[in-house]
Amino acid sequence: MIEVRNLSKHFTHEGRRIAALDNVSLQVSAGEIYGIIGRSGAGKSTLIRCLNLLERPDSGTVTLGEQELTALPEAALQQRRQRIGMVFQHFNLLRSRTVAGNVRFPLELAATLSPAQMDARVDELLQLVGLADHKDKRPAQLSGGQKQRVGIARALANHPDLLLCDEATSALDPETTDSILALLADINRQLNLTIVLITHDMRVIRQLCDHVTVMDHGKVVESGQVLDVFLQPQHAVTRSLLAETGFGQGERVDAWRARIGVPLLKLTFVGEPTLSPVLDKVGRETGLRVNLLSGTLSEIRDTPCGQLLVGVVASDVELTALPEIFAREGVRCEVLA
Amino acid sequence: MSAFDPSLLLTVDWPEIGGATLDTLTMLGVSLLFTIVLGLPLGVLLYISAPGQLRARPRLYAVLSFLVNVLRSLPFVILLIVLIPLTLLLVGTSIGVAGAIVPLVVGAIPFFGRLVENVLREIDRGVIEASQSMGAKLPQIVFKVLLPEAMPGLIGAATVTAVALVGYTAMSGVIGGGGLGDLAIRYGYQRFQTEVMIVTVVLLLVLVQGLQTAGDALVRRCRFG
Repeated sequence: MIEVRNLSKHFTHEGRRIAALDNVSLQVSAGEIYGIIGRSGAGKSTLIRCLNLLERPDSGTVTLGEQELTALPEAALQQRRQRIGMVFQHFNLLRSRTVAGNVRFPLELAATLSPAQMDARVDELLQLVGLADHKDKRPAQLSGGQKQRVGIARALANHPDLLLCDEATSALDPETTDSILALLADINRQLNLTIVLITHDMRVIRQLCDHVTVMDHGKVVESGQVLDVFLQPQHAVTRSLLAETGFGQGERVDAWRARIGVPLLKLTFVGEPTLSPVLDKVGRETGLRVNLLSGTLSEIRDTPCGQLLVGVVASDVELTALPEIFAREGVRCEVLA
Repeated sequence: MSAFDPSLLLTVDWPEIGGATLDTLTMLGVSLLFTIVLGLPLGVLLYISAPGQLRARPRLYAVLSFLVNVLRSLPFVILLIVLIPLTLLLVGTSIGVAGAIVPLVVGAIPFFGRLVENVLREIDRGVIEASQSMGAKLPQIVFKVLLPEAMPGLIGAATVTAVALVGYTAMSGVIGGGGLGDLAIRYGYQRFQTEVMIVTVVLLLVLVQGLQTAGDALVRRCRFG
């Protein structure tokens, strides 16, 4: 669906050349929700703005379907952009227009529908985002979450095949964030719409994304399916971004070991085993008694999963036999002796 | 000035005052109309051609900006005289109401254009970027985004310009431009008829207050939500 190849972009700031993007490549499949995460200044914002060429990269290509966007002349690019929706952190609604007028705006730009058809499409979109009752209000009269719903309806107006979300929930409170994320997940499912989003919030990735790419200093440092990256993060930046979620906290192992002085196990649950009493069952069979140290049990995009760090207090079997016993129950066990 | 005798007001030539008021209103109306019609595009051009803006043309911007500054730095009284040949060419006379309109417009266009540029700069860049992301072409951005979003500010700028034009029309009495300013100079100043001076000042004051009140009301009506 999207193929980004060797994208680089430099900015000059106070006489110094800063690489916002350093040879970034990535691939997004049709219908997936693709998250890009990084701290501020990691280059993720520049990257998403390069996907519809609001920002021109210094080098590299962006290909959407069969079309190389970076090779399109300005007029063709404007035409193509009508079918790439974009949602912004600060909503960027027209203050001079009503809710309905804002959603109508991209339809007027495209000028392919009759006025009556536009009105019908606007009603349909407002229904979809749950704002049918607020049609005639001005943006100034709406809450942040409602404004973002208008932004989403507007982005969907011309039946886009790609939706870009630039920190779409970063200006919203946690509860509103959840409702907007649920709406985006809904839209992805209903319209089979490909979504690329950037965020600095791992919660957004956990609740919404199929694939995650981690950026740091303009480079991609890690990329993979969300479940894999959360449970087995490879890069220090990923681990530090994951810290508040409780996932992938390998570096704390040494601290725990020093404190309690027993062998440690790292247990990783994905799907069904998360919901069954695996520890209890294995304990009865093997005499394994453990001390729960840290970890988390949660959901990653509707898949229950978890990761526990436990200290082994007693065991009738060799520690080296445990991984296989746990594997029978569908749980991944690593002995950190 | 000795103590003013109010009974002198009865001796004022009211029909003459009425005619002069009408002249002032004509000069103001016509020159404001031309100033907006010509100054608005100038302001938009200044805005979009400025470095880092939608159609950055740094050299064009530098030239336009320089011309605007030159015209704005000339005192209006000087402009009135300098422009006499141009006025003759355009309207065939350099005196009277018709003769005053050309210098009024030339003097007010750069003023209004610069105000428009500043108003447009206040528009949130994010909104412009959002329209670009939706594939808006430059004319669509100008007419569907910039001008509607800036409307309260633009009306404010037009109000300030109208008030400035009232001041300019008064000065045009210098070249025999007619209107209340002309009357004030010829009767109130040169013939020491204080009563005429007072009446014209009061009328100009009422005019300016009226313009400002009307402008403010319009801005309130089109402010967003």
